[in-house]
Amino acid sequence: MERLLQYIFDGLSFGAIYALLALGLVVVFRGTGHLNFAQGEMAMFCTFIIWQINDWGVPLILAVVIGMVFGFLLGAGTEATVIRSVAKKSPGGVFVVSIALFLGLNSLATMIWDRAEGYTMGSLFPNKPLDFVRVLGAEWRYKFIGVLVVALALMGLLFLLFSKTKFGLAMRSVASNPESARLVGVPSGVVLASSWGIAAAMGALSGALVGGINGQLTPSLMFSVFIYASAAATLGGLDSPGGAVIAGLSIGIGEQLVAGYIPGWIGQDLKLSVALISIFVVLLVKPSGLFGSLKVERV
Amino acid sequence: MLKIKEGSLQHWAIRIVGFALLALLVIYIPTQSETARIGQFASAFTLIIAAMSLNMVLGFTGQISLGHSAFFGIGGYTAAILIRDHGWSPGYTFYAAAVIAFVVGCLIGLPVLRIRGAYLALVTLAVAVLFPTLLRWKKLEWLTDGAKGIDSVKYDDLPVWPILGELKGRDGRAVFSYWLGLLVLVIVYLVCRGLIRSRVGRSLIAIRDNETAAAVMGVNVTRTKVLIFGISASMCALAGVLATLNSGVVTPDGQFVTLLGSIIFLLIMVVGGAGTLSGPIIGGLVYVWLDNTTRGIGTDSSGVLGFVFGWTDQSPATLILGLALIVIMLFAPTGLMGLLRKLTRRIMTIIPRDISPTQ
Repeated sequence: MERLLQYIFDGLSFGAIYALLALGLVVVFRGTGHLNFAQGEMAMFCTFIIWQINDWGVPLILAVVIGMVFGFLLGAGTEATVIRSVAKKSPGGVFVVSIALFLGLNSLATMIWDRAEGYTMGSLFPNKPLDFVRVLGAEWRYKFIGVLVVALALMGLLFLLFSKTKFGLAMRSVASNPESARLVGVPSGVVLASSWGIAAAMGALSGALVGGINGQLTPSLMFSVFIYASAAATLGGLDSPGGAVIAGLSIGIGEQLVAGYIPGWIGQDLKLSVALISIFVVLLVKPSGLFGSLKVERV
Repeated sequence: MLKIKEGSLQHWAIRIVGFALLALLVIYIPTQSETARIGQFASAFTLIIAAMSLNMVLGFTGQISLGHSAFFGIGGYTAAILIRDHGWSPGYTFYAAAVIAFVVGCLIGLPVLRIRGAYLALVTLAVAVLFPTLLRWKKLEWLTDGAKGIDSVKYDDLPVWPILGELKGRDGRAVFSYWLGLLVLVIVYLVCRGLIRSRVGRSLIAIRDNETAAAVMGVNVTRTKVLIFGISASMCALAGVLATLNSGVVTPDGQFVTLLGSIIFLLIMVVGGAGTLSGPIIGGLVYVWLDNTTRGIGTDSSGVLGFVFGWTDQSPATLILGLALIVIMLFAPTGLMGLLRKLTRRIMTIIPRDISPTQ
C-alpha cells in the first residue's frame, strides 16, 4: 500500500511535467493546426538560458521568470517570422520547419554549452536528502510537491486564460475558423504568435522543473520528456487541453507503476515503450485520442 | 526560348546526351576518385534509397512517417544476423530483408494508417523510438546482441564481376560498395517510376490530394495505403542491408537506426523535392556533400565558416543543416528539384504529346 502510494505520488509529479509540455503541444495545435516537433528542444534551450542567467548570479526563481519571457519571445518570434510564411506556401512544410528547429536548437545548445558531462542545475525547491514529509507511509519529497503545485497552478491559470478572458475567446475563435475570426476583427496574427509564445514559455518552465529534479543539464534533457509529452498529447487528443492533462498525469503514474512492479521483465529502458504501446491501442479504437474531436472534412 | 515536342528528334537527342553525360559521370567517379570519396558516394546511395522509400509514402501518398529508421534497422539487422549466424551469402540477404520488412511494414501499416495527419506523425515517431529499445531488450539479446550490436559482419568473397576488373583490399571494397549501391539504387528508382506511372501511382496521388475524394472515385484507400507502406518498408530495408554490408556493423545507436535516421531521410526528401522521382537523388548527394564539408569546420578554423564558428569545438554541421532546411522551406518549398524545373523552363519547354483520343 505504501509502495503503491509512493508510485502514484511520484508518478503525479512526473506526469504534471509531461502534462505541461503536452499542453504546449495542444495550444499550438489548436491555434494553428500544426505539430511543433521542436517543443521539447525549445524548452531545453530556454532551460540553458535559465541556467546561464542563474550562473551569472541572478536568483533562480527570477532566472526562471526571465527564461519564460525568453521562451515566449522565442516561440512568438518563430511563429511570426518563419512559421507563418511557410504555412502560407505549404502547410506540410511547417512540420519540416519544426524538425529543422529541433535539429538547429539542439546543435546550437551543444555548441554554446559545450561540456560532455553537462551542468549542475539548481532546484527551485528544497532538495536535500531529508527534505520530505511522510504521508500515509509514502515519502512526499518537497521538490516533487513543489513541481506538482507549480504545474497545476500554471494549468489552472491557463484554463482561466482560455475560458474567462477576451484573449482566450480570441484564441478559440481563431482555432475554430481563422478567416471568420479575422473578418470580425480578431487580430489573428497576434493570437497565433502568442499561442506559440505561451507554449514555449510553458516549455521553459517544464524544462526548469525537469532540470531541478534531475539536478543535471545536458542538451538531451528534454528528449524523453518530449516523447512522453507527445504520447500524452496523442492519448488525450491533440486539440483537448483537458485530455492532455489527464493523459499526462496517467502516463506519469502508469510509468512509475510499470517500472516499480514489473522491473525484471520490462526494465528501465522499456518503460517508455509501455506508454507508447498503450497509445497504439487507444488510437486503434479512437483515432483522434480519448478526448479529441473527430475532424469532419468537406470534399 | 526553345520549344520542343515530346518524342521529337530534338527531345530524344537531349535525352540521349543527358543520359550519356550521367553514365560518364557515374563511371568516372569510382575510377578516378580517392577511396574515401568513393565511400561517400556509396553511403549517399544508401541514404538516397531510404529517402526514395520515404518519398513513396510521404511525398506521393501524403502519409507522414517518422518510422522509416526502424525499417532501415530491420534491413540492417536481417543482413547482419543472416550473414554472421547463418552463414548466408550477402546477396541473398537482400531478398530476405525485403520480404521481412514488407510483412512488418504491412503489419504496422494496417492499424497505423487509420490514423491521420499529426496523430500519424506521433505514432510513427513512437515506432522510431521503440525500435532501438526493442533491439536493446534483454529478452531479445539472443538475436540482436543487445546494446553492443552486431559487429564484424564479414564476407570475404567479393564476387568477381568481369566488367569491374579485380577488386582487392580496402579500395576494392569501396568500389564494390559503390557499384552494388548504384545497382540497388537503379532498381529501386525503376520500381518507384513504374509504380508512380501506373494505376497504383495515380491512386497514391489521389489519396494525397484528397482521401475522401479518392475513395469516392473508387480507390481502395486502405489497401493502397497498406500496400505502399509495405513496399516502402522493404525498399528502406534494402538501404539498411547496403549500410550493413558497407560498414560491417549494426548497433541500436547507429545513426540511421534511431529517430535521427528518419529525420535525415525526411530532410533529404524535402531538400531534393518531395513527390518527385529524382528529388531524393539530388537531396542525398547534397546532404552527403554538406555533411562532409561542414563536419570539419569546428576543428579547423580557417575560411569564412571557420571564422563564424571558430568559437566552438563542436561541429556546426547539424545547425547548418537545420538552417538550410528552413531557408529551403521559405524560398523553395518544392525543393531543389522544383528550382531546377523552374530554371529549365526558362530555357526550354517540352510540349507534351497530343493525348486527345483517336477515332
